[in-house]
Parts: sequence; structure tokens; C-alpha cells
Amino acid sequence: MSEDLHSRVALKLEAVGPSVSIGLEIKIESYFDIVRGLIEDFASKNGMNCIYVTSSVPSATLNSALQALEVDTEGLRFIDCVSHTMMGAIHRVDNTVYVENPSMLENIMLKVEYFLRLAGDKKTIVVFDSANSFAIHNDPKILSEFFTIILNSLKAREAYPVVLMIPDQLKVEVKEMLGMVCDVIMPIEQDHQP
Amino acid sequence: MAKASERERCITGIEGLDNILGGGIPTHNIVLVAGAAGTGKTSLAFEFVVRGAVSGENGVLITTVESKSKLLANIPSLVFYDEKTVGKRITIMTLKDLLEEAGISDGVAGESVMDMLISMVEKMVVTAKAKRLVIDSIDTILPDQKEERLDTYFLTKLSQMLHEKGSTAILVCKAETAEGGIGSVVDGIIQMGNLERKGDLLRTMQVPKMKGATHSRAKYVIDLTSAGVLVTTLLKGGI
Repeated sequence: MSEDLHSRVALKLEAVGPSVSIGLEIKIESYFDIVRGLIEDFASKNGMNCIYVTSSVPSATLNSALQALEVDTEGLRFIDCVSHTMMGAIHRVDNTVYVENPSMLENIMLKVEYFLRLAGDKKTIVVFDSANSFAIHNDPKILSEFFTIILNSLKAREAYPVVLMIPDQLKVEVKEMLGMVCDVIMPIEQDHQP
Repeated sequence: MAKASERERCITGIEGLDNILGGGIPTHNIVLVAGAAGTGKTSLAFEFVVRGAVSGENGVLITTVESKSKLLANIPSLVFYDEKTVGKRITIMTLKDLLEEAGISDGVAGESVMDMLISMVEKMVVTAKAKRLVIDSIDTILPDQKEERLDTYFLTKLSQMLHEKGSTAILVCKAETAEGGIGSVVDGIIQMGNLERKGDLLRTMQVPKMKGATHSRAKYVIDLTSAGVLVTTLLKGGI
């Protein structure tokens, strides 16, 4: 019954509006539904760009999955912090820039800025996937500084900043930190089976 | 209470740098952009000229390290560059051509040669009606690091000339050059560098000196992109 989960994600984001940083609590089994909801139901259908910062799944995998789901990826840009760490062949794709690893937080900030500049005045949602994987590679103090700066900066530019998090797999201190840096913590529940 | 008068600024167009400087380089300043190889000195200097051209200010670029064709080949990679409107506002010359035009033999140095060089640069600035000048790099022009007196002589004369002509200059150099005596002769220093953190190498930028400006002295992280030089805060990690 997760068919409309993606549209519910979009409705929830639309209700919140821009310039609000959202911590989106998700379940691992609904991951692709949530991603689809953010990229297709929210960004694409509202004519927005989507900057997708991934530190958990390689952009090529996400691209393939979205193509299989026939999701429109025209306004989608990836900041891929995973592929380099796997030391595999990197296939240069127009909509993707690579950061060597998820601990190069300043470079991630600069790549977000880069895509925002190219987007001009177009409304943009910026997704950080995910707080869990960022927390594996970074000390909570620097991660807190990173999210504070980048989320505030995105809010000032009337973007839609969204941090994906799987709460039951997060350390308490990271969860508390996200509670402080995000304006809203939004749980996305799967539909209950009858 | 009288309000302190602010110096007029040359807005570099490099947003992060203008923010660090509180609005741009004070006009007519002569600024060193110093750093090791690969730190982004040439990209910063180049963008300074191109951004000026985009905003309607003519610029002169004297290159001593790259050929004119190689330099021109790099311009279209900047997304804000438009050949038709911007290209005509930028005059590029190699040092070799400049020396040949001045009739200066390679390896000859002295105050008279410095005077001739200044005179040639002045001619270029006047002819091009240039508001911005870049020399990349000054190390090749300065005759000998041991002859600090000549370095100072050249930069003092260049500074005077640019002030009279109303131009603002960026001079690219090695990090050691800025640490020497000429660091006190110029109006500003922008240090480009590398910062290693757990094996990752970040490009950095810091402004330790800029006459006529109240500026940040913090270290920033930069990226060289087709949208120009981007600047962000250096994270401290709670230290």
C-alpha cells in the first residue's frame, strides 16, 4: 500500500513551504518511494530543480532506479559523495558532480552553491541523503556545523532543504543535533496494512 | 560624529571575495595573489578580468606563464563569458611580445629596463582604457629575487602609474614572493593555499592585508568551477 507514499511526501512538503529545513524520518523499506516523492511528485511536478546530495547510494544506482520508475529527471542534479570512495570507474554524467568522500563537507557546500548558481532564480529543493551516512564519515561537531551553515544558507535563498534520516539507526547525539538544526522533524509513516 | 569615508571599491565580481573584502578591492590598489602551484591563483586573476569585462570595465592581462592561445581556450569554459560582448573588452599580451615590442633583451635588468616595462604597461592600460590589470606572474618580471631593491622600485612605479590611470591591479606570484620585502610595498595580499585534513586536500583563500578596507582575515575554502571561483566557510568542527 505504499503506492501513494510518494505523493504524500510531496503534499507534506507543499504544506510546509520554502525556507524551512526539514528532517525527514523515513523507513529503509520505503526509501525509493520517498526519493520518488521528492524528485517527481514534489520537484518535477512543481517545476523545480532538485539538488540531490548522496552519501549513501551512488548516483548511477539512483539514476537507474529513477529511469526504471520512469521518473522525469530533467531538473535533477546529483552531488555524489559515494562513487569515488568505491574506487570504481566514474562515468561522467552531465547532471552529476563528484566529491571525493562524504567528509569533504566544505566541498559539498561549494557544489551545492555551484548548482544553485547554474539554476539562477529557479526554485530548488536540496536533499541530503542521508544524515545516517554523513554521521558515519563525520564527527558530530563538524556535522552539526555543516548542517547549521548550509541549512541556514539554503533557507535564506528560499530553497527547500530536506535531510533524510532513518531515526532508529541514528546515534542519540546525531538525532539531537538534527533536532536542533532542522526547523521541522517530519516522520513519514508507511500505510498500515489492514 | 563624522562618518569615516569609505574608499571607492573595484567590485571583483567574485562574490565570495567581495564579501570577504567588504565590497571589493579599494580602487587603484595593487594586490598580490600569492600561492603554490594549483591553488587557483590564475583562475582568480583571470576571473577578475573577465568579471570586469562583463560589467563593462576593460581589462589588460599580461601573461608570462601561458601562451595567449592556451589562455583564450580556457575562457569559454566560464558560463558567464560571452565572446561577442566581453571578448573585445579584454586585451591579452604575453611578456615575450611585450619585451620584444619594448626592444628589451632577455635577461637584461636594471632600473632603466624596469622603467621601459612600466612605460609599456602604461601604454597598454591607456590604449585599452583598462580599469583592471592582471600580470600572471610577476615572478617572471621581477628580475632577481636577490635584488629586492629593484623589485620594490618596479612595484612602486607600477603602483604610481596605476593610481594615475585609475586602474586596479592583481599581480600573481609564488607564496615566497609575497613573504619577502615586496609584501610591504603592495596594497593587498590574497593568499591561496592548500589545507590537508585527514588526507583530503582543500583549496583555501585568506586575505591578510588589504589597505583601505575593513576585511575578514579568516581562512576560506574555495572551488574552481565553470561558474567561477566559489568561496565558503572553513568548518572548524567545534575546535
